[in-house]
Amino acid sequence: MRSNILFGRIALAVYLVIFFGYLLGPLVVMGITAFNSASFPSVTPWQCFTYEWFGALFQDERILNGIRNSFIVGIGTVILSVSIGLAASLVLTQIWPRFRGTYYTIIIAPILIPGVVLGISTLVFWRRVSDMFGDSANFLNNGIFLTILGQSTFIASYCMLVFVARLQRFDPGLTEAALDLGATHTQAFRKILLPFMRPAIASAAVLAFLASFENYNTTTFTFGSYPTLTIELSQMVRYGINPSISALAVIIVAITVFVALAVEVYRRRSKVKAGEIKPRKGLPAWLFGNVATILLVLLSFVVIAMIYTAQSYSPQQCKFDYREARQIEIQNKIDALRAERAAQQGAVVESTPQEPAAQGAGAGAFGNVFAPNNLEDAAGQGSEAPAAPASPFGNVFAPSNLEDAAGTGTEEAPAAPASPFGNVFAPTNLEGASGTDGN
Amino acid sequence: MKKPMIFSGFFKNNGAVMGGILMFLVAFWIIVLILLPQLSMLDFSFRYNLPPADVGGPKDVYTLRNYKFLIFGPEGATGNYNTVDLMVFVRTILAAMAVTVMNLILCYPLAYYLGQSKGTGFIRLLVVMLVVPYWINEILRAFALRIIFGDIGVINGLMMQIGLIDQPYDFINADIALYAGLGYAYILLMLFPMYNVIESLDRNQIEAARDMGASWVRIHRRVVIPHAKPGIASGMTMVFMLSAGALAAPQVLGGTSSLWFTQLVYQWFNDTLNWQQGAAYAIVLLVASIAIVLTFMKIFKVNMGDIGK
Repeated sequence: MRSNILFGRIALAVYLVIFFGYLLGPLVVMGITAFNSASFPSVTPWQCFTYEWFGALFQDERILNGIRNSFIVGIGTVILSVSIGLAASLVLTQIWPRFRGTYYTIIIAPILIPGVVLGISTLVFWRRVSDMFGDSANFLNNGIFLTILGQSTFIASYCMLVFVARLQRFDPGLTEAALDLGATHTQAFRKILLPFMRPAIASAAVLAFLASFENYNTTTFTFGSYPTLTIELSQMVRYGINPSISALAVIIVAITVFVALAVEVYRRRSKVKAGEIKPRKGLPAWLFGNVATILLVLLSFVVIAMIYTAQSYSPQQCKFDYREARQIEIQNKIDALRAERAAQQGAVVESTPQEPAAQGAGAGAFGNVFAPNNLEDAAGQGSEAPAAPASPFGNVFAPSNLEDAAGTGTEEAPAAPASPFGNVFAPTNLEGASGTDGN
Repeated sequence: MKKPMIFSGFFKNNGAVMGGILMFLVAFWIIVLILLPQLSMLDFSFRYNLPPADVGGPKDVYTLRNYKFLIFGPEGATGNYNTVDLMVFVRTILAAMAVTVMNLILCYPLAYYLGQSKGTGFIRLLVVMLVVPYWINEILRAFALRIIFGDIGVINGLMMQIGLIDQPYDFINADIALYAGLGYAYILLMLFPMYNVIESLDRNQIEAARDMGASWVRIHRRVVIPHAKPGIASGMTMVFMLSAGALAAPQVLGGTSSLWFTQLVYQWFNDTLNWQQGAAYAIVLLVASIAIVLTFMKIFKVNMGDIGK
């Protein structure tokens, strides 16, 4: 029996670790990539610890613009969907029971309709309406207007669910009493129902804002010329990316954890004040055996420390060293390759005068590879290809690739097929080669 | 407040001003935001893709062409059926079902554990940890998985370091990354409905069953699962609908050769600029997924009213 319980506990612990590993692991990994100086977000070829991506994030005009649009859309969506949700939930409590089922099905449906469908239908419908009105109704095609409507369609359902849960505990007798005492319906609503619903309104507003802020499926059809943050991110992810979006994720996670912990601390404190929990003696009340408080303080320390070190820390030396090491590595690989090729050519090509020229061509072809900014170029291209963001450096380092580079140098001369290295003798070519070497 | 009521009663109950505002908001939502756009899209899907000058003209007539395209392919094509698009459709539906079942299996134990534990600090910490990833953008979450599963990703990096493999394994094209990403994106929508329902289950019922000698499996089969059925149905419905309609995860994590049905819709709209065709595809997706959900609800005897609770 006891071993059974022990086994159960171990199984539970393993399960929890797996579950939360799946849930949080990706975020942790992404967080780490925000501090790696590699230009494609990655962990394994660890280069240097850096803060540069946070700087890059705040200088990215598109991201800032996206955040601005997201806020505008978010606020509009909160206002519209909270008021619709509240009205819908009030109607639900009063509707004729025979219609209740149908009504509930209709207002819950937007949650279940795929976001893509909502986006398309909003776009198609309002395009028609604006066509009907002609040029005077141009605002109907405005991206922000469409996005707010499209998102509110389903976010209002979420809000409605929050309100229904709260309304179940509302005593309609209160409103009736107010009406009996001579209040108008509007007054009763404002003075009785609204204060009762305030916590639900707050949580519905937060929920609505978050849902709006991170919505992609609907917005991607309706945004028009006002891309929200999510749209910008999706385009960055698809058409080339650097770790500044990891930095953005780190900031969002930090804010989230901060707020969650603060709420927890606040709840704990109000419980202590209400006397539900007695604070232990000898410690200040706010620090009383509370995991959340301790974590909150720790988190604040880490953030402050990071901001402080970011002022003085510079990864330039490390980056320089890394590049140096990389170049030596490449150099070694190339030397090995060159020796191999020389051995092969020595067997095939008899005439010695061509030999040094061939070497020169080799150096010229490889010269591009040595140039540091060239490496960066290659990396940039690697990450810009959406389908193959494999290793931006991998392409460059792979030996077969180097052979290709050298190979194309020889194959690109169809006019002089006599000698495979004939084009090397062209003066322009040599100039080009030395030019790149000079880098 | 639950007495029979028609419109006049509604206004008497709420006053003319408040009643009017409430009715206006609800009517605006249902008619202008929900019904008309859907009908408009349905209408659109039966039309030809005409240049603006011809819209409303004599050529602007109804047609089944857009739906025929999905089933039979372009007119005059050699094959009998549009196998490419149909395969994408079938694959999307099946994969969404698989993701739903996978999420259910993964979430049920945790929902049970959270629901039946008393609200200690540890449990609340777990709940906070659950909510944190949900606040991150869907795109970013998908991208995080891309960092893990990519060619130079964490898993490939680790496995190559250990020497398990010498070439990176292509998780992206094997669709492993996609399924992991879809499961990841909607896992909380499976967890929380189940958690809410199981939390309301009286512990004494489980104790009683145990005292009577019921085995662990039997307790779950006869006591917990029947009680949690509305939550399970609600979670499965949401996860299935959202995965079938997902766009972000397939775009970020999908392989180069395999598409998700929503990606086809997206292409019709944004790349080919044939909105009518895209609307037809969207209608097919909507109708098919609703039909599947309703069928399963019928089989497992769940009401629509249970969804979202």
